[in-house]
Amino acid sequence: MTNNQPRNSRETWEKLLDLLVEALEERQAERRAAPTSQPQPKPATAPAAAPRPAATSSSTSQQQLKPQQPGPQQPSPPPPTKRPPRPGEADWKPAPRVNSIGFGLTIGRLFLVVAIMAVIINIPLFRYGVSLARVAPDERALVIRDGLLLKGEGPDVYVLEDGAVRWISSLQAFELLGYQWHHVHMVDDTFIAGFPQGEPIHVLFKCPDSDPIYRIEAGVKRWIQDIPTFEAEGHVWEDVHMVDCETLRAIPDGPPIPEDAGVPPQP
Amino acid sequence: MRMFDIIEEILRNRHHFFLEIRDKKEISRKIRGMALASIAFLIVYGAVLGASHSLLQSLSSAIKLPVLFFATLLITAPTLYFFHVLFGSSQNITQSVALILTGITVTSVILLALAPVTLFFLVTTGNYAFFKLLNVAIFAIAGIRGVAFLSEGLGIVSNNTEGAARRRNIVRLWIVLYALVGTQMVWTLRPFVGAPTLGFELFRDIGGNFYTNVMASIGEVLGFWMVR
Repeated sequence: MTNNQPRNSRETWEKLLDLLVEALEERQAERRAAPTSQPQPKPATAPAAAPRPAATSSSTSQQQLKPQQPGPQQPSPPPPTKRPPRPGEADWKPAPRVNSIGFGLTIGRLFLVVAIMAVIINIPLFRYGVSLARVAPDERALVIRDGLLLKGEGPDVYVLEDGAVRWISSLQAFELLGYQWHHVHMVDDTFIAGFPQGEPIHVLFKCPDSDPIYRIEAGVKRWIQDIPTFEAEGHVWEDVHMVDCETLRAIPDGPPIPEDAGVPPQP
Repeated sequence: MRMFDIIEEILRNRHHFFLEIRDKKEISRKIRGMALASIAFLIVYGAVLGASHSLLQSLSSAIKLPVLFFATLLITAPTLYFFHVLFGSSQNITQSVALILTGITVTSVILLALAPVTLFFLVTTGNYAFFKLLNVAIFAIAGIRGVAFLSEGLGIVSNNTEGAARRRNIVRLWIVLYALVGTQMVWTLRPFVGAPTLGFELFRDIGGNFYTNVMASIGEVLGFWMVR
């Protein structure tokens, strides 16, 4: 009788230990299976234990020990807050390789469709050769930059340079500078008035058979009296363009520069 | 269509793809496949991008868009490689190029996926500023996703060695550098859309910058001002 009692108690202890080991193994298996999917609550006991009075510390420690006891009804302890391994780290394992779903073929088809569409929208389909890509009515915005050509309600054309508008004083100057009419933007006069006025852009003509130099301005030619006047007006020799005398003579005379210079000579 | 199989490898089995880069398995084939696929996608998206202006602009953008991405790769890849080596990584430059190409390929796939949206707005609206901003948004989405892929790939290829934490910081800084170089490259190679009020230009004068232009376009779309 007396020998059986310690044996029984030993067996009981062994059973308890076995249960404990099983419970621990189960818990570890659970952790391994779902390390990140479950939200990990903060361990409530650890921060709460510090401010509690000493009298309750024993009950607290009992609560802390409780989850470690085996038993199906016992609440599981909060899982440890260990960071899941980052991709590439030692204990990280990649997800298993997935089978092909023919995505390469799908993306290839999409590529072909978009490529064909990119061609189709550039083919002129509408009247006046407008393609599908450019058929939507323009809500055009001006891009303010050097070289922008502006025209108000009057006949004058301006070019924007260094934040100022410069009057292009003649059609000849406009053409010599290489501008094209379809680049001229019609705007309100108030828009042009919003910019400071820069130096006008003139073109100077001279014919090979005569000396006088003329400034072409608003459709007339203005004789520049002499070299000091030429320089005082800010002109340089690079501004002078040679034209044949017939063409120069066909341009009507305007007031000379300076205006009291007298009757202008004919080229 | 076999040339696009690599896209499935990247998108659906990316961890294995990065592990293969780490183990230097078939890197040349991967680089070739990614380069071909991304060039093809970028050419098509570039053609769509410039179509709102003219056929010439469409052709020009189709050439310039791959140039933009690959020039940015050429400029920024050595920086990433050398700084990684400096902080203990054992990857070689081919692996770095393969990783950056992964990011570019993902970006180009997303651009291709969004191309029908761009085409729709291209045909139905004529607002230049809006179209420009739409594309900035599309490129931002595609670029961020591409860079996220690249960042993950760098983690897998070189995280398991000494100095990994420092290299992660370097990757973050490098991403900022990549974005800055990329946007400056966009500005240098512009126009890609082409202002409707201007004639065709292969390149526009250098002046201003990408960020002020985006802000100006936002202001115009919201009606704060008409021009600029």
